[in-house]
Amino acid sequence: MTTTTTTTSKPRSRGRAVPYLLLAPAIIIITLLVIIPMIVIARDSFAISDPLGGNLGGFTLDNYAKLIDPVYAKTLGYSLGMAAINAAVCLIVGYIVAFYISTRAASRQPVLLVLVIIPFLTDFLVRTFAWINLLGSGGPIISGLKLIGIEASSLVPSQLAVTLSLLYAFLPVAVFPIYASMRSIDPSLKEAASDLGAGWWQTHARVFVPLSAPGIASALMLTFVPTLGVFVIPVLLGGGKDPLVGNLIVTLFTEFRNEPLGAALSMVVLLLMVLSAAIAGIVIRVVNSRKAA
Amino acid sequence: MDRVVAWIARLVFVFLYIPIIALVVYSFNSADVSYRFEGFSLRWYAELFADQLLLDTLRTSAIVGVCAALLATIVGFLSAFALVRFRVKGRAFFLGAIVIPLIVPEIVLGVSLLTVFSTANVPTGLVTLILGHVVITLPLATLVMMGAMSALDPSLSEAATDLGATPWVTFRRILFPLLRPAVLAAFLLSFTTSFSNIVISTFTAGVGTTTLPLRIYSSLRTGLTPELNALGTLLVVFTLAIILVVGVGQMRRILAGGTPPPTN
Amino acid sequence: MKKMLITASAIAGVSMLALSGCSASTTDAAANDSLNIYAWAGEIPDSVIAAFEEETGISVTVDTFDSNETMISKLAAGNSGYDIVEPSQYAVELMVERDLLATIDKSKLEGFENLAPKFVDPSFDPENAHSIPWAWGTTGILYNEACTGAEVTGWSDMWNPDYAGKIYMLDNMLSAYIAGLQVNGLSATTTDEADIETATNSLLEQKELLAGYNSSNYADLVSTGDACIAESYSGTTAAQAVEANPDVHYIIPEEGGTLWTDSFSIVEGTDSEDAAYQWLNFTLRPEVAALLTDDASLASTNAAALPLVADQAQVENAAIYAPEADLENSEFIVDPGEALTFFNDGWTRVRAS
Repeated sequence: MTTTTTTTSKPRSRGRAVPYLLLAPAIIIITLLVIIPMIVIARDSFAISDPLGGNLGGFTLDNYAKLIDPVYAKTLGYSLGMAAINAAVCLIVGYIVAFYISTRAASRQPVLLVLVIIPFLTDFLVRTFAWINLLGSGGPIISGLKLIGIEASSLVPSQLAVTLSLLYAFLPVAVFPIYASMRSIDPSLKEAASDLGAGWWQTHARVFVPLSAPGIASALMLTFVPTLGVFVIPVLLGGGKDPLVGNLIVTLFTEFRNEPLGAALSMVVLLLMVLSAAIAGIVIRVVNSRKAA
Repeated sequence: MDRVVAWIARLVFVFLYIPIIALVVYSFNSADVSYRFEGFSLRWYAELFADQLLLDTLRTSAIVGVCAALLATIVGFLSAFALVRFRVKGRAFFLGAIVIPLIVPEIVLGVSLLTVFSTANVPTGLVTLILGHVVITLPLATLVMMGAMSALDPSLSEAATDLGATPWVTFRRILFPLLRPAVLAAFLLSFTTSFSNIVISTFTAGVGTTTLPLRIYSSLRTGLTPELNALGTLLVVFTLAIILVVGVGQMRRILAGGTPPPTN
Repeated sequence: MKKMLITASAIAGVSMLALSGCSASTTDAAANDSLNIYAWAGEIPDSVIAAFEEETGISVTVDTFDSNETMISKLAAGNSGYDIVEPSQYAVELMVERDLLATIDKSKLEGFENLAPKFVDPSFDPENAHSIPWAWGTTGILYNEACTGAEVTGWSDMWNPDYAGKIYMLDNMLSAYIAGLQVNGLSATTTDEADIETATNSLLEQKELLAGYNSSNYADLVSTGDACIAESYSGTTAAQAVEANPDVHYIIPEEGGTLWTDSFSIVEGTDSEDAAYQWLNFTLRPEVAALLTDDASLASTNAAALPLVADQAQVENAAIYAPEADLENSEFIVDPGEALTFFNDGWTRVRAS
């Protein structure tokens, strides 16, 4: 039974309009609420900014010219680095948890899913401050270490605190897509693989990872990209000394009153992501065609 | 190795609940400040129930969350189904458009949405709030559902067709039951994303429709009061209670994958 | 399957009901029977709102914002629905330039004379044409004597390498520049490019010594000793820290420090003008203004209210009411106007260093 390539069954002329009908609601929503706002943003990125915070309209390339300054490259670099680390950590932990849940009894799985989500019903800031207190010098970790005799200073602010908090914040978004994919995988494949002599790593590398690839790709998308926009966690838990895109854009829109520059920076980030997706797509196609050859 | 993975996963669950436990403990703290535990007290619960403003925002957040998540899950399901099981022209463009809200920083999206609403003379309020939340949850729901549908064994529906089932029956009796866990996952994820959103809410909310996280974020300058710990505790307890009430048995019947659903 | 459909439609039905219930209640209220206020969280005590509603029968909705800039964005987009807003002093200037605030008709006001002279005809709003100050405070220094080991007197102490790793500055450009400018003997309201450059260099030097930029829980950090010294706003959190820990002190730096004030303004184009004036007059009453200190631990701009404050200890608390003597060299931070670009460029360099 071939399960590696997904050949979707295509109904013939009978339902040609069906997919477009199914897509209609999404298309309407996206056009009105995404495309049109994007046009506004793109338009703004060429506008002349007004020190009062408004937007004088007009057309100028000044905003993009300003972004060539190495300061912005540094900011983007830091953000991409933080996003990459977070995505990697989240994917690994997310994969483990998703796999664990998908291999429990069917009745248990929804309960476990809900258990993952419950902490996120509490407010984000309240949870974040709970972490600050826990990791701080008065918290159980430092106190515990002191009891053993290790003199440790507060873990907040620190890079570790930021990484932990980011993992915490993005965990559901990493777990759920991978789980959704894994859930659809036929469990007998695992048995088949071990019957054929595959070890744990092989089973995962050759069976589970490829089959849940769409889910993993979604999880990657949902953790890497939004991490570029975070601005609360790095400041509250990291001290805010590193330049990050999320903070910069919020500052541009608020304190700097420079919406056009903020819009331009967003367009640049968008372009970067589109480029990397395109490159990734090409790479995958090349790899696949090599495999097939 | 499976055992190791299982233990790591369990540890992660513990990790998820560490701040929640701290939250619960501090909700009973008699001290004014959060970082020092002084004694047992129910004062924060009393303050919470007296705080009508805060409870109003909770109601707003819940309504918006459910509506936005429902809409996102339904539309996401339809879109994912179309994209995965059919050959659609412009698939790449569509996917690109759908994930834009994930890439563009929320403040930029929020301000431009507000501009669009205001130009179109749509008054800000519950509706614009829900629409704003749909924008950021639709990509989540769609991607989750696409992942689930792509991993489905295509030979299952082929087999059903071979056995004489119409596409609708195949969908109803085979595909949908297999996808129910993913639908639940998409809904839960969309709900919590909407429930905790701050930035989009700032710009798309109207008078009197402040959401809970927005209210809390705006108290950052004057300090978060410990009554929020009480609120968090109650929400956690409430949801846990729902799980118990709905029952594991009910869940098993609804979501057991593979076995055909009871004929209705 | 049927069960799922039923549950789904039930949820949808309930949501629709709730939705319609909500929108109905907001459109029912006639223009002058309701007042929509957009303000800072924690600056309008519930007691004030309740008393106002009871006396006038006008139903009040208060929404809160996290920063002046957010508030301005929402108002600038138009049709915000708010009647009264509570901008900080520099925001008043900005909003006036963008025609977002209505001119206040003094003849309709009662109790204006209760305001302390400092807040009458201020630099940021001549003749109080657009704003009536409500709360005020200062930007100064919060420090923990047990941690610093010495008394702190001014901004220069925030550049002291002895405290390295335990210093926090506010996560706000203009606030940080107050320190950067005044520590060099320059005015905090300067618009001169060279002055700003000097300040930027000081801030760049300082960054290595900093633990971070913090506008949220710095008071807790100073209280526990995790931070020795932090740039701080006067008000609720500072007051709490000072009361909780006898080693914690709030001071106005000897180089000057600055004043901030949050005022009530009427939104241009509001249809609840009468209700808005009733609110202004209500909050100008000394006994009402006194509630700001009693219930919200903030300093009131109303001079006549001071003797009426029930908890006089709050009036003595330097973290709420700065002593007059210390305020000799303090100025209001106003909008830098065109000079904003100099600040922006400098701040971007500081944050990216």
